[in-house]
Amino acid sequence: MLRPWPSSGAVRALTRTVHRPLWIRPPNVYFTTVTPSHHATSADHIPLRKQLKQEAKSLKAQKKQRKKSEEASRQEWELTVGVEIHAQLNAGSKLFSRAPTSASETPNSNVALFDLAFPGSQPEFQAATLLPALRAATALNCDIQPVSRFDRKHYFYQDQPSGYQITQYYEPFARNGWVDLYDYDGIAPEDGSTIRIDIKQVQLEQDTAKSQEYPPSTQLLDFNRVSHPLIEIITMPQIHTPATAAACVRKLQAILQACGAVTTGMEMGGLRADVNVSVRRRGDAPGAYEYDGISGLGQHTEIKNLSSFKAVEDAIVAEKNRQIAVLESGGVVEGETRGWTIGSTETRRLRGKEGAVDYRYMPDPDLPPLVIGEDLVSLINDNLPTLPDSLVQTLRAGYGLSIEDAKPLIELDDGARLEYYRDVVDILRSLYTDQDDQTQAALARVAGNWVLHELGGLLTKADRPWDEEIVPARSLADLIDHLQRKLITGPTAKQVLAAVFEGDRRPIPQLLEEDNLLLRPLSREEYLALAESAIAQNPQMVEQIRNKKQLGKLGWFVGQMMRTGEKGRVEAPKAEEVLRKLILGK
Amino acid sequence: MSLLREAEKYIANQHAHGFNTFITPLPRAGQWLDRVKQADKRREQGAPKSPIDGCLISIKDNICTRDLPTTCGSGILSKFTSPFNATVIEQLENAGAVVAGKTNLDEFGMGSHSTNSRFGPVKNSRRDGSGHDLSAGGSSGGSAVAVAAGQCYAALGTDTGGSVRLPAAYTGTVGFKPSYGLVSRWGVVAYANSLDTVGILGNKTSIVQDIFRILNQHDERDPTSLSTFTRSRILSQLQAPQLASRLTSTPLRIGVPIEYNISELTPSVRRAWLLSLAYLQEQGHTIHPVSLPATKHALSAYYVLAPAEASSNLSKYDGVRYGTRVEGPDSDGQPDSYLYANTRGSGFGGEVKRRILLGTFSLSADAMDNYFIQAQRVRRLVQQDFNAVFAAEHPLAAVQDTRLGAEQIDILVCPTAPSSPPRLFDVTGPSSGSSPLDAYVNDVFTVPASLAGLPAISVPVTTSQSSHNSSAGDVAGIQVVGQYGDDELVMKVGELLEGKRF
Repeated sequence: MLRPWPSSGAVRALTRTVHRPLWIRPPNVYFTTVTPSHHATSADHIPLRKQLKQEAKSLKAQKKQRKKSEEASRQEWELTVGVEIHAQLNAGSKLFSRAPTSASETPNSNVALFDLAFPGSQPEFQAATLLPALRAATALNCDIQPVSRFDRKHYFYQDQPSGYQITQYYEPFARNGWVDLYDYDGIAPEDGSTIRIDIKQVQLEQDTAKSQEYPPSTQLLDFNRVSHPLIEIITMPQIHTPATAAACVRKLQAILQACGAVTTGMEMGGLRADVNVSVRRRGDAPGAYEYDGISGLGQHTEIKNLSSFKAVEDAIVAEKNRQIAVLESGGVVEGETRGWTIGSTETRRLRGKEGAVDYRYMPDPDLPPLVIGEDLVSLINDNLPTLPDSLVQTLRAGYGLSIEDAKPLIELDDGARLEYYRDVVDILRSLYTDQDDQTQAALARVAGNWVLHELGGLLTKADRPWDEEIVPARSLADLIDHLQRKLITGPTAKQVLAAVFEGDRRPIPQLLEEDNLLLRPLSREEYLALAESAIAQNPQMVEQIRNKKQLGKLGWFVGQMMRTGEKGRVEAPKAEEVLRKLILGK
Repeated sequence: MSLLREAEKYIANQHAHGFNTFITPLPRAGQWLDRVKQADKRREQGAPKSPIDGCLISIKDNICTRDLPTTCGSGILSKFTSPFNATVIEQLENAGAVVAGKTNLDEFGMGSHSTNSRFGPVKNSRRDGSGHDLSAGGSSGGSAVAVAAGQCYAALGTDTGGSVRLPAAYTGTVGFKPSYGLVSRWGVVAYANSLDTVGILGNKTSIVQDIFRILNQHDERDPTSLSTFTRSRILSQLQAPQLASRLTSTPLRIGVPIEYNISELTPSVRRAWLLSLAYLQEQGHTIHPVSLPATKHALSAYYVLAPAEASSNLSKYDGVRYGTRVEGPDSDGQPDSYLYANTRGSGFGGEVKRRILLGTFSLSADAMDNYFIQAQRVRRLVQQDFNAVFAAEHPLAAVQDTRLGAEQIDILVCPTAPSSPPRLFDVTGPSSGSSPLDAYVNDVFTVPASLAGLPAISVPVTTSQSSHNSSAGDVAGIQVVGQYGDDELVMKVGELLEGKRF
């Protein structure tokens, strides 16, 4: 299989939907619309709208069925999952050489002698790479070890130039941490409102080279990534639902990004997850297996290299069901390593116990112990940026945002969106210092909507990456200000935002003035005239509203009034008020 | 004699004698001639760069040189030239010395006779009474013979378990292994990092000393190189009156490790040892028997630890980024298999493969505790043995040893090898009947100092055999071992014995 595809723009755009669930079309809609020819030629033509409805319905039914059977298996079987995360650290140099880290440079341009395992070369630990690792471990509430050591993990593969990876197997630099997951993190309902997952250890290690296979006989190797500093985070096997496992990985990524430990997340390959999965029949005696210090478990398998949150969840569901099926048919689960392909329904066996790699861990004889002083630990602790959970708290309490808006604001664009949002709110608040608290709170909520949904929608539509300069915070704040003071209508505000997004650089007041967009309110008579004309043309709809109480159709009349009225002058609330009076008499 | 004349004589010897000492000899003509001529001028003006300005120094072929290939005596690096110079090369060249070629060795330093080389065995320049070729010792046999046969002024070797001292003993030269961490290993191809040291071979201890003083510097590129701070701390410790007075105003207390008097010791070597001790006693020094009880386990521990590190270090050789690849596809025709199974299979020689297998086994999950961990414990015991007998404290020991009231000594004197060099035929011939284990036994006296990281020197002494008519007498290597950091004292005591005829 050719491997370069994950880096293509199309897939990147697709995987991004994971982060921007608010304005992306559901994928099933997308896929059904690309195959219309089949339906067009069939005898009984089904209108597209109806077809979409049917498909959504059957999908819902499938989901419900799946949920039911998942619940049934959960009642009978206890699932246990432990997660291992590999994250590329936000570091300027490699772990053991001064070569710069780079993802995008010309292949094989950023390598030192040691990175290529040249005979006679030796490692030179780069102390600065420790800082992001310490931030991560501190954010995960770990005990930083005063002395830790480096070990060699041996295996042969062409992406591993020295034949071993330098890692911290026997004595990692951080131990005994935890991560708290909340309902808003997307944990399974049966886990309640919060669950704590313990972190066994965090260790420093080297990344491998990037290898691309061109069958039948070509392998390309890029050593730029080799020895990029990584941390491996190992959780205790304390997770019992697939959704919570995915939430755990998502939360770990959010924490790592928030504390500046990493620069890229799963969607760019900066984070990879392995999961250990085992099942045990509830009510049976405790299982005979143990790992990471937790005993009483069933035999576990390891699924390697999961590259999205969805893959984590789907792979665990599939592997759990496979193990249950094996056990229910009287079989035995083998301790083995398995793989997962995106979009698949089954995990596949990579290697079994007999093919298990004996990594022959050996202390690296060239590297001295890593000694971390108390002073450094407290310095890191004192300067740790605010973490997602307390940001969520701030955004909900201080800005009045819903959890649905707070989460994406924090997670999008490595925190840049949040920064921008705060700028907008600060400017707005400075314009409303004389107003009461309630108005101030409303400003923050409105601004959240504009930053996430209106501006976000434009970005998605144009498929442009985030850039705070596209619509300067000042412009958006001015726009919201005009809207709040009812100096422009909502549609006008959206239209102006689009213009600024397209590159109109005039200050908002000037733009509104020059383009004659400021609201000149219609008189009550003008509203009445517009409403009456719309009512006169659609008597049957008026009947439906009056007799069948189909109040939703009022909105249709509002639309009619806005279309027939002078552009940008009809205000929806006023139009609706007049309509209500005329049609319903109130 | 001018430096140039001397250099030309060395080169002539390099090309005249067929001891297979060099894998890459120095070409007769080259830019090096000008450098020697310039050194001659500086000497005439009384301003040489250093005591070795203009001198030709041979380099063991596992030390990286930018201008000459670095093969490690291996098929897998048979055409490899390093893109950089080892720190020791830079230091020598900055001092005005000229690299006199790259010397033959046991592949990657693994062997005790310099016979495990892709480029053929090294021959000792000495022969036995019946004219048979003798083992040069290993693994730095090429460097030792180059010195003995007048093919260079001095030579660098590497000493992991005795690889400089054993060939020095077999060739009648002086071979010095410094304390671990004093001389940079940057650019020295690793065999077993925790034991590897760069050693120096010369005809006289004073030459070795000159070169050691040039190489004895901190190097930030070698993470195991002793820091400047620690060096000065050790130095001031040695300047304390009690230690500074040794050999200058107070006689030495010389330790004789009783465990080294093994049954395998040949009569001539035992005789050389006894006469050396008697001579030192005549000079006013005192002799004290001491016990190093862990010695008998040291050899086994060494042959667990060194192969373990070797199996790890040698896994980088795959012919992918550098090195010699086998012809044709290299994956047994199976799409999933490795790119380099055949390359490694044909690139490495038998002894290297044996040690890779040994090390792979002793590091495997099931064997780790019984072999690697156990051997590390023995290594610690060996270190404690030494610390218990030396009057000087180990400057790097975290906790000072509990001294069991044993006699405290300044220096240990013992043989370098249990016998004189065996015939080459006996260690290589298909019908020699010698097993790899027989070769390992040659390291029994050198390995303990390696495990403990201590400085040790082998100097030649000659004993005239009353029963023999040979006028040359028997040459044996006597080893002097000192406490960590006591390198200068070790060399001074070596100098007392060097070249003595008893």
